[in-house]
Amino acid sequence: MFDRKLIALAWRNLWRNRRRTLITLFGIAFGSMLAVLATGIGDSSYASMIDRAAEMSSGHVTVQHPEFVDLPSATKTVENAEAAAAEARSLPQVRAAVVRQQGSVMLATARQSSGTYYIGIDPEQETPATLETLEQVVDGEMFPTASGGGIVLGEALAENLGAKLGKRVVYTVTDKQGEIVSGLARVRGIVRTGIRSVDASLCYLPLDTVRETLGYGPAEATTVAVFVEDNRQSDATAAALAAKLGTTQEGGPAVLTWKESQPQLRAFIDMKVNGTLILEAIIMLLLAAGIFNSLFVSVMERLREFGIMLAIGFTTAQLFALVMWESLFLAVSGLLAAVVVTAAPYYHLSTTGIDTAQMYEGGVEVAGVGMDAVIYCRIYPESVAAMVVIIVLATLVAGLYPAWRAGRVQPAIAIKEL
Amino acid sequence: MSETPIVATHDVSRVFTQGKIEVRALDGVSVEIHAGEFLAFTGPSGSGKTTLLNLIGALDTPTSGRVELEGKDLASMGRSARSHIRRDRIGFVFQAYNLIPVFTAFENAEMVVRLQGVSEEERTARVNKLLADVGLEGLEDRRPDELSGGQQQRVAIARALATQPAIVLADEPTANVDSGTADTLLDLMQKLNEERGATFLFSTHDPRVMERAKRVVRLVDGRVDSDERRTP
Repeated sequence: MFDRKLIALAWRNLWRNRRRTLITLFGIAFGSMLAVLATGIGDSSYASMIDRAAEMSSGHVTVQHPEFVDLPSATKTVENAEAAAAEARSLPQVRAAVVRQQGSVMLATARQSSGTYYIGIDPEQETPATLETLEQVVDGEMFPTASGGGIVLGEALAENLGAKLGKRVVYTVTDKQGEIVSGLARVRGIVRTGIRSVDASLCYLPLDTVRETLGYGPAEATTVAVFVEDNRQSDATAAALAAKLGTTQEGGPAVLTWKESQPQLRAFIDMKVNGTLILEAIIMLLLAAGIFNSLFVSVMERLREFGIMLAIGFTTAQLFALVMWESLFLAVSGLLAAVVVTAAPYYHLSTTGIDTAQMYEGGVEVAGVGMDAVIYCRIYPESVAAMVVIIVLATLVAGLYPAWRAGRVQPAIAIKEL
Repeated sequence: MSETPIVATHDVSRVFTQGKIEVRALDGVSVEIHAGEFLAFTGPSGSGKTTLLNLIGALDTPTSGRVELEGKDLASMGRSARSHIRRDRIGFVFQAYNLIPVFTAFENAEMVVRLQGVSEEERTARVNKLLADVGLEGLEDRRPDELSGGQQQRVAIARALATQPAIVLADEPTANVDSGTADTLLDLMQKLNEERGATFLFSTHDPRVMERAKRVVRLVDGRVDSDERRTP
């Protein structure tokens, strides 16, 4: 099976019909390129969406009251959110952990009122890596501390409210006791993300000021948003943090991954991933069919030769192995060809990307999360590994029948007939 | 000549079915062949020469009767055991050379010896000697498409002998070469028979082969019509 000469014979056989082999290799390379680009765009887009969703709400990993995710309410809080954030920061894979207050709010100006969702933040804790909107203030500025006054609104929301910079806005929320309370703030900054639907809902308030309005303790908040370097670390980070915080204790906070805290986003990504998997399965099926055809024709053309080989002493198993080696070489050569064919488009798409800004004026929002206007292709190494394994397996499976057929030749008949 | 036959067929019949028609290619053939023989099976087309050679070569099994090679009943062996018998005890020379096109002359002759598990040193020496014996010294690295028909048939002869078989089966080995090349090939096989004691069995129409054969078995309609031994 592993005889050097048998392997050399398989390699040379592969190039006996150079044109057919090259056509098959092109098929493998082109199919692989499609699969890599589709998967890479998916991997990159979903990672970007998850990161954006984390920034705009509750991080890759969230510490919340166990009931908050189902019944978001000002009464469902984490008593010592600041301590939980500090615990999170001590984990090596955590790049940032910030305390945020989230809830529904009614905003009113002298001209208009509008309901939306607010986030209370401490701008001194936040950085552009945890809150990209810090860099998207197009008019005015972000309030400088957690305890001062001021409100920052999305551009479209400000327009709807008729709230220009410096104008007063009354915000009304339900406090910890279930009472309706109000606060007054002047518009300190206007944010433009480029996605109109997102800009029509953004509302930031200073964290400590909101705490005071809600009647919270000094370390209390609804959310600790934890950020990791790579969203794929979310599960492990959540488990480690849960262990640190002792979340199994009665009344303890819950530690959720983004998949649990943002179920709509998870459902969307799962749906798209499944779509990509179906596309990949179709590509692999077509590849396998092409490879099968190439190998089968090649075997059928050589039946006489296989008959002779059996006659002079090759065994059925050796002929099976010979064709399987040919199949493996086809797969490996196809993958190398795929690297050559894919390199340039992948490089372009991973560095320059595709700018969809003109295609989708006003931006695209999915599950409440704005998508980047520029789509990049950056495939995860594990996706590449999975693809390589699948292509090699598909090729080997496609080679099984031709290999079996080669070994089933009746030498006396093959030599006589052809 | 040894008293124990290398090959013995006992009342061998082979019936092929073509659609609803049964064709009796061999009908009760019994023959004994001893080591060192240079034997030609002759007869008209369809007389059963190639069928008999295929049965002796473990490429086919008889419908009835028994074929023994060195005392072993070939039909009772499994597919794998028959492969090993063909590899280790039988050499084949076919009408159309049938070399592996992507291998050189040396590789073609060496491959089966390699499958036998013979050491690299020994098989290199053995194959080089054989290629020299068949007149292909200096052409070891040529592929079949770089060799003439006669040269290819010499490689096939070297390949058949490289495994040191008990018997070499040659099916119309001179059919595809010109008469000059045919004589040269026959000289070569005769020399190998006389000097190395290699046993050759031919299936042939070629009178040149029959002239040189020490024994000629004539088949007609699947039966032995005559069995003539010649003394030099």
